[in-house]
Amino acid sequence: MTDSIMDRPLALRAEGVRMEYRDPSTQERLVAIERIDCEIREGEFVSIVGPSGCGKSTFLKVVNGLLPATDGEIEIRASGKGQDHAMVFQDSSLFPWYTVIRNVAYGLACQGVNKKEAAERAMPFIKLVGLEGFEHKYPYQLSGGMQQRANLARALTVDPEILLMDEPFAALDAQTRELMQVELIRIWSQARKTVLFITHQIDEAIFLSDRVLVMSARPGRILADIPIHLPRPRDLDIKRTPEFTAYEDQIWRLIAKQLSVTPSVDSSAA
Amino acid sequence: MTSANPALRPVRNPRDRKQRSSYERWLRRNENITLSLVGIAGFLLIWELGSRIGFIDEFFFSKPTSIIAAAIREVQIARFWTDVRVSVFEFVVGYLAAVALAVPLGLIIGWYRRLSYMVDPWLNLFNSLPRIALIPLLVLWLGLGVESKIAVVFLGAFFSIIIPTVQGVRTVDRRFLDVAHSFGASQSRLFTSVVAPATLPFITTGLRLGVGRALIGVIVGELYSQTQGLGVMIIRASENIQPDRMFFAISIFTFSGILAVVALRRVERRLDRWRPKLEEG
Amino acid sequence: MPRRVVLRHEPLIFGIIGFVLVLVAWEAAVDMGLAKASLLSSPTRIWNAGATDFGNGILWPHLATSLLEWCVGFALAIVVGIPLGLALGVFRRLGKIVDPLLSALYATPTVALVPLVILLFGIGVNAKFAIVFIEAVITITVSTMNGTRSADRRHLETARSFGASKWLVFTSVTLPSTVPFIITGVRIGAGRAIVAVIVAEFIAANVGIGFYISLNGSLLNASRVMLGVLLIGAFGVGIGIIIGRLQRHFDRWRPAIN
Repeated sequence: MTDSIMDRPLALRAEGVRMEYRDPSTQERLVAIERIDCEIREGEFVSIVGPSGCGKSTFLKVVNGLLPATDGEIEIRASGKGQDHAMVFQDSSLFPWYTVIRNVAYGLACQGVNKKEAAERAMPFIKLVGLEGFEHKYPYQLSGGMQQRANLARALTVDPEILLMDEPFAALDAQTRELMQVELIRIWSQARKTVLFITHQIDEAIFLSDRVLVMSARPGRILADIPIHLPRPRDLDIKRTPEFTAYEDQIWRLIAKQLSVTPSVDSSAA
Repeated sequence: MTSANPALRPVRNPRDRKQRSSYERWLRRNENITLSLVGIAGFLLIWELGSRIGFIDEFFFSKPTSIIAAAIREVQIARFWTDVRVSVFEFVVGYLAAVALAVPLGLIIGWYRRLSYMVDPWLNLFNSLPRIALIPLLVLWLGLGVESKIAVVFLGAFFSIIIPTVQGVRTVDRRFLDVAHSFGASQSRLFTSVVAPATLPFITTGLRLGVGRALIGVIVGELYSQTQGLGVMIIRASENIQPDRMFFAISIFTFSGILAVVALRRVERRLDRWRPKLEEG
Repeated sequence: MPRRVVLRHEPLIFGIIGFVLVLVAWEAAVDMGLAKASLLSSPTRIWNAGATDFGNGILWPHLATSLLEWCVGFALAIVVGIPLGLALGVFRRLGKIVDPLLSALYATPTVALVPLVILLFGIGVNAKFAIVFIEAVITITVSTMNGTRSADRRHLETARSFGASKWLVFTSVTLPSTVPFIITGVRIGAGRAIVAVIVAEFIAANVGIGFYISLNGSLLNASRVMLGVLLIGAFGVGIGIIIGRLQRHFDRWRPAIN
């Protein structure tokens, strides 16, 4: 499986990305991201896990063009058909004053597509994420899980080369979160998108991904690049297999070192 | 799958970023203050120059230097200080009386649920009435002197303070009361440990709103009928067409309004230290 | 009455009791001669004064004039204040330049400007238009400007990440998040505008509800003074209800409070 992925064209290449910012109160220069290099191939599902505040969300914003990098290069595959990239944000990023359908069609509206056509083109994606019948509801009338489905549909509607997901399930309760993970796999396997997924949940990253990048505590850099050789299609039962727990162990050790908490071995490097 | 030679497009290259000089960076950092100063200076300059070249009618609008000159003249006149003393007296007595009555009454009314239901219609009625419109009635009752002005100030501030106070007591979070009850707190402890701190922010908001109302009360009361006070100074200056004196008197109200609001914001923030800071909206 | 019904309607029942109790005590005190009717009036006397002055048509020109003054001044304030506030909010630097001036005006009890405005425009309706306008426009502008600045960062980021044009960011994010602030500004401005009408008519006018009140004050007619004050209050409440409706119309996308 890995071999076939390696033959595919690159969807994203980041090299030497560094991000500094100035603390607005003390004027001190702080380093959010020390250095990130990574390559993602077309159709690949890659997750970045790391402790809170390690700069993983910042990196995603840099990729998205919302923040400027201080140094380094990022390139994204531009085929010219859809948008280059689309972001699925943490939560409450749906516009509360728009109905579901207008929210999902928003990306198309940004491209200048007229309202009626945008709504028509958004409809299949509303169906894909399972929100049929809710298209004329306002976000406050939806549960957290449904809001994130709408959020995902909005990103898919612009047909992006790469889908950037910033802890999309962080605000959901444990059961809804697992359900959404299964749903995301289903949707991903149908939409066939390249995904860069940010999370602090280790099991979520392993369950979803072809590859997991582990980030250090701030200032962030990539500690390890771990290919996940679990068969697809995956269901939740896979989380209880020994292979899965082995991956969990491996990643948790890497992160725990950063948190200066010792899992069971090695307390020297904190 | 698709083409073997991917067309990669750079995302915002950092090398294209503008390098800013230290001077530009200093400006950006102090943008707010700089722009505020530009605004104030620009406003005064346009006023002054516009007046001098005849673009602004000096007869009605005067000009900043004339107003400053008028201010220097005024502060040397005993009559001005009498006016100030009268206005300050009206404000202080009316406002303090309003605070002294509105806060305890508000706490009591809020605490006794049924009492609050009975008083509610009257509070709402008075709150929706423009109390300023009651001035002729107050003059009828209390005469043209200082007393009716104090009453106007009192009425203006009283309802602005009592309504949030009642609301504050009534909206005390049930969970905190439950906690206090479960620890067997007495009524008085319940009041001092839960009700008072929870209501304090509401009271301070009321105090702040009350200041504005009270100031308006002073002016309108004196504009309506009075022989002494800063409002009278405004009226007399306008009758004699002395815009410089008039703007000086108005600016006193402006500065006291700003000062009072800033001071009470401070107090509010101090009392509110335990509350997570909200973005200024 | 079953106890449960009493409990559920407690606020209403006690409200009516409290309201009626005061009215009866007031009426009785004046009728028994404990207070002078010319100073304190009484509910029935206010009612009678209303019946008389509406019946013989004395009140109508006063009401019509004040209403006209309010409407024109307030409409102008809306037409100027909302676009101005939006512009000052969107062009951030411009907004920051005028910020200190706006705050100073906002803190100034603008009724202090009434004599100046009368000096400029005379005692006719034009002066009242100007006063109402000044009083309301400051509130509306400041509130709108603050609303524009309060747009949620996440929503702005979302719009930018989808490559929305500046105009689309404005119409899809800034404007909808400003609407509640605009309505608040309009609501407060409406109240201030009512005060402005009355104060202006107190100081210089020969017609208008403020003039009616102050005239009857000097004629020692407390009933008519109170009648006038109540009419203004009723107008204020009516305007409040209309603005509340408007707010609910614009707030469909928010969960209803309560």
